[in-house]
Amino acid sequence: MVKGTVTSLSSIFAPDDALKASVHVQEVISQRQKEVQQLQAFLNDNTSLVNLLKKLPDQLHHDIMVPFGKAAFFPGKLIHTNEFMVLLGEGYYAERTSKQTVEILKRRGKGLDSQIESLNAVIKDLKFETSFFDETATEAAEGIVEIREDYVEEAFDEDKATTSGQDDFASILSRIDQLEKEELESELAEEGEEKDEADIEPEFRNLEIKESLDIPVYRDSHIKVPTPSGSNTPMRPVDHNISKEGLSRAPMSRDEVEVSTLASTSSSSNVSSKTRVAASSSSNASSKTSVAASGSSNASSKTSVAASMSKEVSNFGSRSSNDKAFTGSIVERTHNIENSQKGQTSAPASKPVSRFKLQRK
Amino acid sequence: MAAVRELQKDLEAKANDLSKIQKDISKNHQVRKKYTIQLGENELVLKELDLLNDDANVYKLIGPVLVKQDLAEANANVRKRIEYISAELKRLDSTLQDLEEKQNSKKEAMFKLQQRIQSLQAGKDKA
Repeated sequence: MVKGTVTSLSSIFAPDDALKASVHVQEVISQRQKEVQQLQAFLNDNTSLVNLLKKLPDQLHHDIMVPFGKAAFFPGKLIHTNEFMVLLGEGYYAERTSKQTVEILKRRGKGLDSQIESLNAVIKDLKFETSFFDETATEAAEGIVEIREDYVEEAFDEDKATTSGQDDFASILSRIDQLEKEELESELAEEGEEKDEADIEPEFRNLEIKESLDIPVYRDSHIKVPTPSGSNTPMRPVDHNISKEGLSRAPMSRDEVEVSTLASTSSSSNVSSKTRVAASSSSNASSKTSVAASGSSNASSKTSVAASMSKEVSNFGSRSSNDKAFTGSIVERTHNIENSQKGQTSAPASKPVSRFKLQRK
Repeated sequence: MAAVRELQKDLEAKANDLSKIQKDISKNHQVRKKYTIQLGENELVLKELDLLNDDANVYKLIGPVLVKQDLAEANANVRKRIEYISAELKRLDSTLQDLEEKQNSKKEAMFKLQQRIQSLQAGKDKA
C-alpha cells in the first residue's frame, strides 16, 4: 500500500569491493607509517647528535680509540673539539662551532617534526577511510537495506489514539496547531511578513513553531483532505513546499488561513487558546480578533468543515502514530512541549482542546 | 572481414603508442620528483648560508676533495642552481601536460575504434 523503494546496501556498495578498497587503503596506510618511522629514526639520530655535540667541547682533547681499517683500532686523541664541518646539503660544508652546529641541527629537527605531523594527519584520514569501508562492507554483508518511502497521506483509524505516548503527541500537535493559528493571525493582521513583531521573542517562537510544524502542516493538509470543501485540496502541494522551507511565509499564510477558519468554525474557545499564546506575544492580540472576524465570514462557506472537525480532531491523535516516522521534527517539538504543556494547564474547556485533554495522560 | 582485421591492427598500433606515452609520463614523474627534492635541499642550504657570518669557511665537496669556497661565491652558486632547477621543473610540467593530452586523445581514438570493431562484428554475426 505504501509506495517505497527498498534498496539493499549490498547492491549499492558490493561488500567485496568495499573490502578490497579497505585493504588497498590499509596498504597505503602501512606505507605512510613506514615513512613516519623513518622520519622518527632521523629525529632520534638528530637528538643523539645534539647531545654528543654538547659534550665534546667540554675537554680540549679527548682520548679515543680510532678505527683503522675493518678490524683494528689504535689509540688517538680527538683535538679541535670546538670545530665542526657541517654538511649543509648539495655538497656544501660549513665550518661551525659546537653551538652553531647544534642550532643547525635543531632547525633540521623542526623540519622533520613538521613532516612527521603532516604524515600523521594523512594516516589519520586514511584510517577513517578504512573504517568507513569496513563498516559498509559489514553492513552490506548483513543485508541492511535502505528503505525510501514517499510520504503518502492516508486516512487512518480513530482508535489508534489510545496509548499514552500518542496522547502526548496528540496534545502537542493540537497545541502546535493553535500556535500556528496565532502566527497566521499575526501575519494576516500586518499583511507584511517581517514587519509584524515588535518583539523578537515571539518572532523566534513563531519561527520555532514554523520549523517544527513540518508535520503538523502535513497533518492539517491531511485533515483538510477528507473535508468536502473543495478549496482545501489545492493546499496540498503548497504544504509540501512548506515542509521544505519551514520559514516560507507566503504559502504558510494561506495554510494558516484555512487552519484558522477551521478552528474558528469549531468553537469560539479558539480565541481563548490564542490568548494563551498572546500572553507571550502580545502583539498578536489585536490581530486575532480581526482574523476571527474573517474566520467567521468564511465559516458560512465551510460549514461542512465543522461537521468533519470531530473526525479531524480524532485524526490529530491517530495522526501521531504516522508522524513517528519523522523523528527529526519530533525532536524540535520538545521545545513546544514545554510551552504547550504550560499553556495547556491553563486551557479552557474548548471543544477540540477538551478532546485532547481526554486523550492526554 | 578484412576491414575488421585492419581495424584491429590499427587498434594494436594505437595501444603501443599509448603504452609508450604512459612510460614517458611515468619517467617525467620520476624526474620531477628528483628535481623537487633537490630544489628543497638547495633552499635549505641557502637558508643556512645566509645565517653564516661573512668570515666563516665554506667548503664544497667535489669528488673526494673538499675545496674551500668563498661565501659569496657559494651563495651565488646555490641561487643559480635553484633557478636552474625551477626552470627545469616548469619545462617538465609543460611536457607532462602535453603527454597527458596525447594520452587522452589516443584513448579516445582507441575507444572509437573498438566501438567500430564491435559494431562490425555484430553486423557480421548477424549476417
